Amino acid sequence: MANRTIPRLLQTPAVLLLLVWMLVPLGMTLFFSFIRYVLNNLRRPEWTSPSIENWRGFGNYQFVWNQDSFWLAIQNSLLIVCSILFLTVILGVLIAVLVNRSFPGRGIVRVLLISPFFVMPAVNAVLWINMILDPVLGLQGLAVGGLNDVIAGLRNAPLIGGFFSLWPELNPISFRATQTSAYAVIMMVTWQWTPFAVLIFMTSLQSEDQQQKEAAILDGASRWSQFRFLTLPHLGRPIAIVVMIQAIFHLSLYAEIEIVSRGNGNKNLPYLIGELANNNIGAASATGIFAVILANIVAIFLLRMVGKTLME
Amino acid sequence: MAIVAETSKFSRFAWPVLAWGVALIFFFPIFWMVLTSFKTDADAVKPEFLFSFTPTLENYANMTQNYDYWRFATNSVITSVSATLLTLVVGVPCAYAMAFNPSRGTKDILMWMLSTKMLPAAAVLYPMIFLAKGLGIYDTHFLVIMVLCLINLPIVIWMLFTYFKDIPKDIIEAGKMDGLNTWGEVREILIPLAWGGIASTALLAFIFCWNEAYWTVRLTTIDAATLSKLIEGNRAPEGLFFGRLSAVSTAAVGPIVVLGWFCQKQLVQGLTFGAVK
Repeated sequence: MANRTIPRLLQTPAVLLLLVWMLVPLGMTLFFSFIRYVLNNLRRPEWTSPSIENWRGFGNYQFVWNQDSFWLAIQNSLLIVCSILFLTVILGVLIAVLVNRSFPGRGIVRVLLISPFFVMPAVNAVLWINMILDPVLGLQGLAVGGLNDVIAGLRNAPLIGGFFSLWPELNPISFRATQTSAYAVIMMVTWQWTPFAVLIFMTSLQSEDQQQKEAAILDGASRWSQFRFLTLPHLGRPIAIVVMIQAIFHLSLYAEIEIVSRGNGNKNLPYLIGELANNNIGAASATGIFAVILANIVAIFLLRMVGKTLME
Repeated sequence: MAIVAETSKFSRFAWPVLAWGVALIFFFPIFWMVLTSFKTDADAVKPEFLFSFTPTLENYANMTQNYDYWRFATNSVITSVSATLLTLVVGVPCAYAMAFNPSRGTKDILMWMLSTKMLPAAAVLYPMIFLAKGLGIYDTHFLVIMVLCLINLPIVIWMLFTYFKDIPKDIIEAGKMDGLNTWGEVREILIPLAWGGIASTALLAFIFCWNEAYWTVRLTTIDAATLSKLIEGNRAPEGLFFGRLSAVSTAAVGPIVVLGWFCQKQLVQGLTFGAVK
């Protein structure tokens, strides 16, 4: 039996730490979600500290469920996550196929491509929303201003001037506005995570069966059908993994949303929870439990897929 | 890839050009940040100085004065290094036991560990603040180190497990025959053989700690605030300080991007939990 004791002992610290980490805060969230718990409430001071006396049953869940902001947050969460997934997978596959050949400087190209992934999210957001997307002083503002100058110059040109005088002045887009702030987040996160998709697809492409490919070429298969019938099926599993890992990461996007517009127009579930947690802890906790359920739906699929390869 | 013969002119010339073009587009924002960091705040927003300007190191020289950069950087270094070491101290024995003495429950434990990673941070935000304030550890290095350790522990154990699994069990058995105890096995056999794997796991854990932006921002105010907090606090400079903001951003991400270049391969293994090889 001594044989089994040592391995068990070695695993204990890690297991205990994670058990506490998982059970204690989540247990508290679950408890808070069933009680009235509001930090700033002058009329009902008894609600300002957690107590079983303030039991509310499913009241917080009902309250959250009937809020428009909750559904808007779910809508934003899904819009942001789905758009990023769509873009990163498409771009990822294309770029991975592009750099999976040998050409001069391939090593440097790979290094340049992967770099965005290591930029810290806060810097990513500050860099994009200010230096690149700012409608006046960012590159966008400068580019639009430059284009307008060019068009204005062409208006006075002979012959084509008449054509250009019909063109309206271009207006830069403000990416901190309600209608556009979600797209700013999608853009910056896509920039950061496409390299991740590329890296994984590239790794997977290297294990592609070359003999099969050669045979296909000898049989006169076109580039497209090689891609469609050999490469794409080979990438099926990595694509599924990229989708699920990213879904888990992006369902909890926070820093980018805070920096772009402080939740104006792009408020997702974590951001809504953060806002509620400034005062109404009961509602924040109920929303948190909804977020856990949403994440679990994604997680079950990922765990199943990873579990299959675990003991190979 | 040389097997696939390339004959057409298009693929021989256009392909590399296209690949380089895409790579340069993706790298451009980083290049732009570094370039802007060498401009004065006034020059940074003027179209006439887009690419030709008089470079200055003023922004880097004034980083301490403008942002108190080194205090945040020191906090980032302390918390990331400590959290990485702590994670390894807890994770290596665990992964070792799982890889060399797997029991029937090992697979389930590994899956469960991974599932803790999928708990949305926002859902336990308030309890964490409540506990931290109650225990008097809010805004301390200790709290940040513990949280960073806990969020990285599952990935670290998974990565180490996939490395250790590839070490032939016979070698460990041979060590046992030679009369090595568990600690002897770890020291004499495991660490020398899995050194590369442990090092790259540590590197990746360090990168994750450094870039973490949810807990480090929300569980700190001043004393233990990291670089993520510093950058987030300066989110909207209104164009006035592009030069100095670029400099501090470059200083915050530069070392990590360079480190990242060295562990691309490990990234794949670490983030896909060994499911893509």
